[in-house]
Amino acid sequence: MSDLERQFERIIRDEISRRRLLRRGAAGALSVSALSYLAACGSETGGSGDSKPESKVIEKGEIGDSIYVANWPLYIEEDRGTLKDFQKKYGAKVKYVEEVNDNTEFFGKVRQQYERGDSGGRDIHVVTDWMAGKMIRLGYVEKLDHSALPNVQANLIERLKSPPFDPKRDYSVPWQSGFAGIIYRKDKVKREPKSIDDLFDPAYKGKVTMLTEMRDTVGLVAASMGSDPETASTDDFMKAIDKIGEASDSGQIRGFTGNEYTKDITKGDSWVIIGWSGDAVQLEADNPNIKFVAPETGVHLWTDNMEVPVGAPEPYAAEKFMDFVYEPEVQADIAEYVNYICPVKGVKEILTKRDPALGENQLIFPDDRTLSDAFIFRQLKPEEDTQLTEAFQGVIGA
Amino acid sequence: MRAGLKKAGLPYLLLFPGLGWLLLFFALPLGFMLFESLKAGTPDSGFLFDWSVSNYSDAVSQFDEQFMRSFEFAGLATLISFVIGYPLAYVIAFRGGRWRNALLLAVIVPFFVTYLIRTLSWETILSDDGAVVSTLQTVGILGEEGRLLDTTASVVLGITYNFLPFMILPLYASLERIDPRLLEAGYDLYGRRRDVFMRVTLPLSMPGVVAGTLLTFIPAAGDFINAELLGTPRQSMIGNVIQSRYLEVGDYPTAAALSFILMGTMLAVVLVWARVAGTEALLGTEGEERRA
Repeated sequence: MSDLERQFERIIRDEISRRRLLRRGAAGALSVSALSYLAACGSETGGSGDSKPESKVIEKGEIGDSIYVANWPLYIEEDRGTLKDFQKKYGAKVKYVEEVNDNTEFFGKVRQQYERGDSGGRDIHVVTDWMAGKMIRLGYVEKLDHSALPNVQANLIERLKSPPFDPKRDYSVPWQSGFAGIIYRKDKVKREPKSIDDLFDPAYKGKVTMLTEMRDTVGLVAASMGSDPETASTDDFMKAIDKIGEASDSGQIRGFTGNEYTKDITKGDSWVIIGWSGDAVQLEADNPNIKFVAPETGVHLWTDNMEVPVGAPEPYAAEKFMDFVYEPEVQADIAEYVNYICPVKGVKEILTKRDPALGENQLIFPDDRTLSDAFIFRQLKPEEDTQLTEAFQGVIGA
Repeated sequence: MRAGLKKAGLPYLLLFPGLGWLLLFFALPLGFMLFESLKAGTPDSGFLFDWSVSNYSDAVSQFDEQFMRSFEFAGLATLISFVIGYPLAYVIAFRGGRWRNALLLAVIVPFFVTYLIRTLSWETILSDDGAVVSTLQTVGILGEEGRLLDTTASVVLGITYNFLPFMILPLYASLERIDPRLLEAGYDLYGRRRDVFMRVTLPLSMPGVVAGTLLTFIPAAGDFINAELLGTPRQSMIGNVIQSRYLEVGDYPTAAALSFILMGTMLAVVLVWARVAGTEALLGTEGEERRA
């Protein structure tokens, strides 16, 4: 009985596991999807509008009573001390809303507002690289004033200073990063998997899952086929999608998942999978047989980025907030809880003092070599994005 | 005169809340969706109204596989539900005695837990390393490499399980209404058990059969959670496609067109079924007819 109860607890906990909550769009997302659909429905002109929102450099000014931050679930320490500290220092209360469950879904929700130059009251939103790039391209976000961001200037780790979608970080500042790589069950595989090719090994037929996040899965497979996802052509990516499709049709790949893969691998339904580093940190803590490994051909380094939407009521306070979380002491609290890759220098030393196991964890503070070997998926043109997304969705069953 | 006017207006007034509800939450969204389904464009640049009827034919030719699979799975699940549900409803209605209410409650109790959690529980029960699979492997029904989760069987099972009460309840309702004296009369007229069942019980329970099959088949065909949680891309149904088109690809016109095609097909199924089973069965008006 207690075993069953524990399993239930697991199910429920896994379902709301860190980040990408309800990624699979089950029940909860239904209501949200309906809303975002209605929102999108009204946008007649879409992006081809004549009244394009205008992005401008943020000017210094006064800080008001409150700012509004839109972020992913479970992406800040539980007691939210960081927000209280910000209020203490700057006098502005932080309205922190966990409303980003999915990049596309969030885009559907805010598009119409942003199109009118109305941020919906938001001062900061946090979205993944490619969506951050899309926001920039559509003129939905303000240009940052680097002189207002001294901590970011000083403490942002080198590898993230020049991502393909925003080469000078003119519009975006990383919140947290992470790796997509291989997670495997040590007790089930015959030897440690070294590359993505091992996921296509017939010995693991039906025990392989990959992520529904196109850039993670397609990027890793394309890299294993010899192309560099930072520069690869659409054809290279299409070849990777074809390979994934064949493996799915043959039953080699069992399925495609959001973060519910944590449940599958814990139960033993999957053995060798593509998953995220932050989850791996927690999974390994619960079950020492679960390991993360960076494939030889490189891991995918993704970042969730803070941006200031156009029309934000408190753009200057938003910059202050971005700068605030780049103080190592402040960031340490967030990193200690989140366990993804910390983008801020100086945090490692602080956390090592608090908890050596965390401070020395290669998945939270990877060394420079691992970081430089990691690839960042290149920015796709809109038509490429549509083509690849459609093809990939076709492969993953829709 | 004034009283007469008032009387004439009253029914309309009483109809207003219901009609208003239908208009606001059914007709209007439907109109929106029809409008959306005729737009052309790309997810990136947005969509503009363009009478692009081709959305419909494209949707059918691109996703015919998922359409067929949806009807196949839903049909199978409905059939299994009927086979399980009819005897159960029969027993509760005729042999339930004082346990009747308790038995009915037992049918409904699973609904106290949310749909999602129930389906997730099946994911755990059917797990590769779980008790069910290892038992079946020991007995030799399932091979060493065999599995239950993420197969067509698990998806159909999930759908059957989740919609079974929708089959049982209407069946029970119509069986329970049957006047026992009619059955007695059948036996008095030297009907054997089988004859009485075929000539009296079954025809009188037809409204329940029709309602039950429709209540099971319609939501089952549009379901996506079972295929998502208990299946793989090889089991994906039309609901999964619509969900992905809306939320992942952002291709609203195709998603809207697919929804309309699904609705149209359902309507056709209902009409054909009504023809076959007779409208009186569908509307439950067999009593009136007899009286007339």
